[in-house]
Amino acid sequence: MNPKEEKVKIITEEFIENDEDANVGKRKKNSKVQRQPRKKQPPTTGPDKMMLEESHLGNQQELVQDEPQTRLLSVTARRGPRSLPPIPSASRTGFAEFSMRERMREKLQAARSKAESALLQEIPTPRPQRLRSPTVKELETEFGTESGKEVGSTQQEDDTQSYARVKFHVSARKIKSKPQVPPGFPSAEEAYNFFTFTFDPEPEEAEEKPKHGDGTHQEEEEGEEEPPTEEGANRMDEEELLHGKDAEDFLLGLDHTADEFLAVRPAHYESVHVRLQREKEMLFIPSRLTVPTYKKLPENVQPRFLEDEGLYIGERPEVARTNQNIMENRLLTQESGRRWFGDDGRILALPNPIKPFPSRPPVFMQEQSIKAELETLYKKAVKYVHRSQHMIGSGDPAGNFQLDIDISGLIFTHHPCFSREHVLAAKLAQLYDQYLARHQRNKAKFLTDKLQALRNAVQTGLNPEKPHQSLDTIQKTINEYKSEIRQTRKLRDAEQERDRTLLKTIIKVWKEMKSLREFQRFTNTPLKLVLRKEKVDQKTDEEAYEAEIQAEISELLEEHTEEYEQKMEEYRTSYQQWKAWKKAQRAKKKKKKQATEEHPEEETEEPYPEEDPVKPSPPEPTDRAAVEQQVRERAAQSRRRPGEPTLLPELSLAGSVTPNDQCPRAEVWRREDVKRRSVYLKVLFNNKEVSRTVSRQLGTDFRVHFGQIFNLQIFNWPESLTLQVYETVGHSSPTLLAEVFLPIPETTIVTGRAPIEEVEFSSNQHVTLDHEGVGSGVPFSFEADGSNQLILMTSGKVSHSVAWAIGENGIPLIPPLSQQNIGFRSALKRADAISSIGTSGVTDMKKLAKWAAESKLDPNDPNNAPLMQLISVATSGESYVPDFFRLEQLQQEFNFVSDEELNRSKRFRLLHLRSQQVPEFRNYKQIPVYDREIMEKVFQDYEKRLRDRNVIETKDHIDTHRAVVAKYLQQVRESVINRFLIAKQHFLLADLVVEEEVPNISILGLNLFKLAEQKRPLRPRRKGRKKVTAQNLSDGDIRLLVNIIRAYDLPVRKPTASKFQQPSRSSRTFREKHAASPDTRSPTHSADYPLGQVLVRPFVEVSFQRTICHTTTAEGPNPSWNEELELPFRAPNGDYSTASLQSVKDVVFINIFDEVLYDVLEDDRERGNGIHTRIERHWLGCVKIPFSTIYFQARIDGTFKIDIPPVLLGYSKEQNMIIERDFDSVRSLSEGSYITLFITIEPQLVPGESVREKFDSQEDEKLLQATEKFQAECALKFPKRQCLATVIDISGKTVFITRYLKPLNPPQELLNIYPNNPQATAELVARYVSLIPFLPDTVSFAGLCDLWSTSDQFLDLLAGDEEEHAVLLCNYFLFLGKKAWLVMGNAIPEGPTAYVLTWEKSHYLIWNPCSGNFYGQFDTFCPLKNVGCLIGPDNIWFNIQQYDSPLRINFDVTKHKLWKSFFSRSLPYPGLSSVQPEELIYQNTDKAAAAELQDRIEKILKEKIMDWRPRHLTRWNRYCTSTLRHFLPLLESSQGEDIEDDHRAELLKQLGDYRFSGFPLHMPYSEVKPLIDAVYSTGVHNIDVPNVEFALAVYIHPYPKNVLSVWIYVASLIRNR
Amino acid sequence: MAAAGPSVFLLMVNGQVESAQFPEFDNLYCKYCFVYGQDWAPTAGLEEGISQITSKSRDACQALVWNFPIDITFKSTNPFGWPQIVLSVYGPDVFGNDVVRGYGAVHVPFSPGRHKRTIPMFVPESTSKLQKFTSWFMGRRPEYTDPKVVAQGEGREARPT
Repeated sequence: MNPKEEKVKIITEEFIENDEDANVGKRKKNSKVQRQPRKKQPPTTGPDKMMLEESHLGNQQELVQDEPQTRLLSVTARRGPRSLPPIPSASRTGFAEFSMRERMREKLQAARSKAESALLQEIPTPRPQRLRSPTVKELETEFGTESGKEVGSTQQEDDTQSYARVKFHVSARKIKSKPQVPPGFPSAEEAYNFFTFTFDPEPEEAEEKPKHGDGTHQEEEEGEEEPPTEEGANRMDEEELLHGKDAEDFLLGLDHTADEFLAVRPAHYESVHVRLQREKEMLFIPSRLTVPTYKKLPENVQPRFLEDEGLYIGERPEVARTNQNIMENRLLTQESGRRWFGDDGRILALPNPIKPFPSRPPVFMQEQSIKAELETLYKKAVKYVHRSQHMIGSGDPAGNFQLDIDISGLIFTHHPCFSREHVLAAKLAQLYDQYLARHQRNKAKFLTDKLQALRNAVQTGLNPEKPHQSLDTIQKTINEYKSEIRQTRKLRDAEQERDRTLLKTIIKVWKEMKSLREFQRFTNTPLKLVLRKEKVDQKTDEEAYEAEIQAEISELLEEHTEEYEQKMEEYRTSYQQWKAWKKAQRAKKKKKKQATEEHPEEETEEPYPEEDPVKPSPPEPTDRAAVEQQVRERAAQSRRRPGEPTLLPELSLAGSVTPNDQCPRAEVWRREDVKRRSVYLKVLFNNKEVSRTVSRQLGTDFRVHFGQIFNLQIFNWPESLTLQVYETVGHSSPTLLAEVFLPIPETTIVTGRAPIEEVEFSSNQHVTLDHEGVGSGVPFSFEADGSNQLILMTSGKVSHSVAWAIGENGIPLIPPLSQQNIGFRSALKRADAISSIGTSGVTDMKKLAKWAAESKLDPNDPNNAPLMQLISVATSGESYVPDFFRLEQLQQEFNFVSDEELNRSKRFRLLHLRSQQVPEFRNYKQIPVYDREIMEKVFQDYEKRLRDRNVIETKDHIDTHRAVVAKYLQQVRESVINRFLIAKQHFLLADLVVEEEVPNISILGLNLFKLAEQKRPLRPRRKGRKKVTAQNLSDGDIRLLVNIIRAYDLPVRKPTASKFQQPSRSSRTFREKHAASPDTRSPTHSADYPLGQVLVRPFVEVSFQRTICHTTTAEGPNPSWNEELELPFRAPNGDYSTASLQSVKDVVFINIFDEVLYDVLEDDRERGNGIHTRIERHWLGCVKIPFSTIYFQARIDGTFKIDIPPVLLGYSKEQNMIIERDFDSVRSLSEGSYITLFITIEPQLVPGESVREKFDSQEDEKLLQATEKFQAECALKFPKRQCLATVIDISGKTVFITRYLKPLNPPQELLNIYPNNPQATAELVARYVSLIPFLPDTVSFAGLCDLWSTSDQFLDLLAGDEEEHAVLLCNYFLFLGKKAWLVMGNAIPEGPTAYVLTWEKSHYLIWNPCSGNFYGQFDTFCPLKNVGCLIGPDNIWFNIQQYDSPLRINFDVTKHKLWKSFFSRSLPYPGLSSVQPEELIYQNTDKAAAAELQDRIEKILKEKIMDWRPRHLTRWNRYCTSTLRHFLPLLESSQGEDIEDDHRAELLKQLGDYRFSGFPLHMPYSEVKPLIDAVYSTGVHNIDVPNVEFALAVYIHPYPKNVLSVWIYVASLIRNR
Repeated sequence: MAAAGPSVFLLMVNGQVESAQFPEFDNLYCKYCFVYGQDWAPTAGLEEGISQITSKSRDACQALVWNFPIDITFKSTNPFGWPQIVLSVYGPDVFGNDVVRGYGAVHVPFSPGRHKRTIPMFVPESTSKLQKFTSWFMGRRPEYTDPKVVAQGEGREARPT
């Protein structure tokens, strides 16, 4: 219990004891009033504060000296027991205190008596009485008895001490103040105090406050008398009092405080009337009276009731009349309130939106019913109806058509498990079935009857009694009858014969079966044939038989005579002819006697027809017997003999099957095998499996009963209905036995009316079994000798019935046939009005219209709109077919602004473009709120780009072809980026969640081992830098660190005063070059340098994104700087996302300059006094490293070859002479200068991963699997080595890599230059390839994997990265007959790259395809650092050697231990066709265009240089320029080699009095910008000597296929004085 | 107005990460950061914060009380991309490794006034039982590459929780 609460309780209790006789009823009455003011107190006041307040208030009515004391006490109260732990009681009840207490007690006694008297006086006042009831209650409820309370109070005593003390003291003070006021009446202050008093705010107390808050107050006033009544409380009270009194005494003399001057006023009160009065002024209360209509309408306007006029008005929502009136009144007083009223003088209202019935099912509150309510209802999944040509209209509610397929069972007519007996039994059953069928039809009987009828007809026809018909017609009909009789008789005979043979075969088979059963001594089938004899009356039968025969005979005779007569007739006519002919013949004979030889021949021919007709006439009488005999024979054969009983075979299953234990083993096996087999059927509808039957075991009788009905709910018109018979043996997978095609039922066949039909099936399965089963598809025989072989196939019958189902309302669920034919039209119709009303069956529009008219449908009611539309369409006769299809019909209603307006909004457009990730706006931040704040220029770039998309702009590109290519590339890039953006949305788990991989044993083991490892704190360990994801970066966070360590072999200055040497050198021939020149020069030059003069003072300047940093100046040709430069990196548009970083195209330029000091002191006399020099810097060379390389490599560390211009005027490579003697052989390998660098990005960025998108491929699936396997294996062994097997072509398809390699012809032009020097040709070709501009894929296809273009694409695009260059070069080499491979590996600075390896007679050469340089295998300066795999035109070899540096590996790919080949004996090379074209076709470049381009570039560059020198005058030395211009073609033809000296000589000759520094730059041409950048990076323009002159020449050498080699010569000239 | 610069509206966020209920864990601390759209920019206050470590209160509710203040002001031109606060709670596991105990995100309330938000927290789950064990054993639970992903819609399908 809270100590305070406790305390309050104690006090109240005490009070009660003293005031037992107080009036309860009175108190309650007033308590309400008392409570009110309390609520006004600020709720936030803390208890401490309240305490203070309390004391303040107390002061006002108390003696002045009390006040400080209370302050003090309140302070103590503040550190009271509220939140602090209880203060130990020991300290309180110390010795000193104890003695004090004794004293106090005495004083208290006195005080108490005094207080008692005061109390007595006070009793009549209402307050104490009021208090009592709650406290009494409290007492009863909480404490029960007094003793219990006592215990509680003593326990809590210590805790409550300090707090209680305060309270108590306050009360004590109050008592003291009492005498000042008249007894029995609260003073004004008291009253105020009472009302404004702040009571304990503790939550615990808050509950009680209403009850006994007053109590506390009361008790405070009367606390004095409490102590004597109770021991426990007493002690405490005494103690407190003591404290209080002490303090009181002590503070007695203190002054008044500010509190005294507080003005106290009564609370402001406003009477209700006044308030109402005022409110009336302020507020408007609309009246509730009905507003007359005229007020609501404009003047002189009659209310108009639209409803009466026949317009539709929806039902208004119900609003109480008074509310409506109030509203109307209010609106009327409002400005422009009238517009709220309609024409009828009522407030405008929408139709009532409330539905008359709830759309949600009512929930019953009874518990049981809830359960029932929640009952799960199974609903069949309803498939979404999609349209196709066979589709059955739109989703009509009754549009679920249903086919019921009843599969009752399956009977095998042959099965591999049939025993011989089964075969016979099946045969027998089949025959019997046939018999039954025949018997049922009884065709023989029918035909006999027919015959009889015909005969009768003939008889009657012959009767002359009915001559009402002309004789002619009678004769005709009789003839017809007769022929019919003949026909029928033949049929009947055939039928009868067939019946008989069938019966015979049945009996024969049965006999065979019986003998078989006897033979094998067991029975397998329960078949039993019983022949029932039906006795016939011998006599009648015989008579009938005889009559029949007679009739037949007579008929036959008749026929014969007829025939005979006919023939006679023929004979006669022919005879006549013959005679005539003979006469003619004789006449001829007379004329020609030679012809007699022919006569006999002709006569022998002629008599035949003559004699033939004569023949039949004689047999007529004899023939009767013959005919009779013939007839009888036939009758005997095909018909039952007269008197013979009719045989009725009856097949029954009454026989017993021999049980297993009496059968031989083979038979038992067979039976068991049968048992293991089960059969089921799959139902395929339109070639899709829709259901299947249960799997049933095969019975011993080879019948399977399914008895299942499948209800197929269909949408598509059934095209095929197939049953597939599957057999399962044991637990093996089911095998398809056969397919049974069921006919699709007629639409008239509905369920219940469909007959069970049997459809036969058979399979071509071959089964041989090792038991009694005969198998199927294999020959077997019933004979012991194996003759008379039979081959039976598995076959059987499925009995089924298919029918259309009938719906609930008795309508067959058949797709209307018309749908098939006029599906299109009806679909449209459906899409229109009919479907919207849902009355699909309505066809008679007229009727509908009539009905609509009769039922007085409101034509304006929107509910009826579709119907009305339909009617109007139908009645007007023209069928309205909408020519559109609206996906979201309601969209228009929700468009709050028209589309045009939306498009006009700049803000919306901006948002839209941004969400489409248009590059210009992708990173647009803070799109302004208002249109007016969006500058029009924001869109300018974008619009320009859109406009230019198809317009080829030549300004930037100059060369039109390149412009086209640039556009094309841009388009490819866009499409690829779009794809990439989509792919980017697909995250893998690994992208989002960092998770430890599943550790394998080795890692676990290693970790365990590490645990055991000794800790070696002094051993330094390299820690990986923390990688930063690009998301939370901003400008300035990323820096590029370039550590420049040292350089080797820089060119050194040449003395300027070497003029006199020139003549000697210029006499040298052009060809003499490198070997000779250093030797001749070196001694002289070294002599030229004065002692102490350095050869060169190089420093390095790094420029990146227009930030430039440079190192200090070092000295000598092999300087060592060892400096770290820091360059800030800014991503484009401040977007540091991976995609954006990948597409940064900036290049780090590392330029090496020579710092040259020139003495500019003109007066020699001042030389002693000061140094006056000018610093010039001369460009020596540069190294360019694209940022993308750094980004992907994370760090670049190595020695790079400095790109030094072929001619560096005033400089030469002098180092040779110095160290030549020692390292001659080594040095000769490395021409050029090198610089050692270390570049990285701080912090390390995580390069984006290539897209994991699986690209589709046209490669063989097997090959793809093999590549995956190959790569996995390789990665397992050497995870760091590059292994490439498939690449992605430009259309985004995976292609096997070897398809790219194929001999391709280089330009013929190049081959013609050195026809006899293959090495030179190779170099030329390599140079040609290197002239094709380099464009890294990763830049062009940001963040995407490498795309490989074929060589023709590459040449068309004229841009590509290492792979394309390498592929082209390799293909050229292959064409030249070299052995060449693609080398995939790592190089510096490119990183993973592709080089070309060639085999030259005795050694390997490594070609850098992008620079055209080649290196020997053992060249230490070869940039290729490791080799991952080699790729040839027909195979891939992965490097499985220990080392991968080209210096240390063997390139012999035939060694399987060193190279793992992709195609091997196990997987032979399948002969993949190449993706490359047959032949490359080269167009010669337009020379005129090149010349034009040359001029334009020169002009642009000159302008640029002038721009870069804004503060200086730029003079151009024309003379020098023309000299340079003549010189550049020479450079091109010599490929920039070794013509320096001649050039120098020439220049010196012409410009002897100038100090000249300059150099030619050589680049492949792609765009103008790189050229400008290159010129800028040399810093030629930085010279600010006043009299400097410049020279600039450009030369473009065109190669086939628009490959351009650009030379730029820039020079600065300073006139020597 | 237009001349004075683009008009923006401001969103001031004051509040605190009061307490958490993690029945199983103790001695947790939390980090918060904000995720907001392109049109938003913080103008004042701290975008990120990391709280003190707190232990469970000894009473029945066992709340982890941080009372860690948040105070940030955003300016924006577009309600799209309304800021979300992302909280991630970390604490030591049995072996004393700091592991993540929960991620959660909630939009900053849209209406002015005092709001109290309770954010359900979750952690990514290991992909397999074995991984679960090893991650527990090695003290490297699966965690998000960036806690901000919990406030983003992308790649939700790839996240097991």
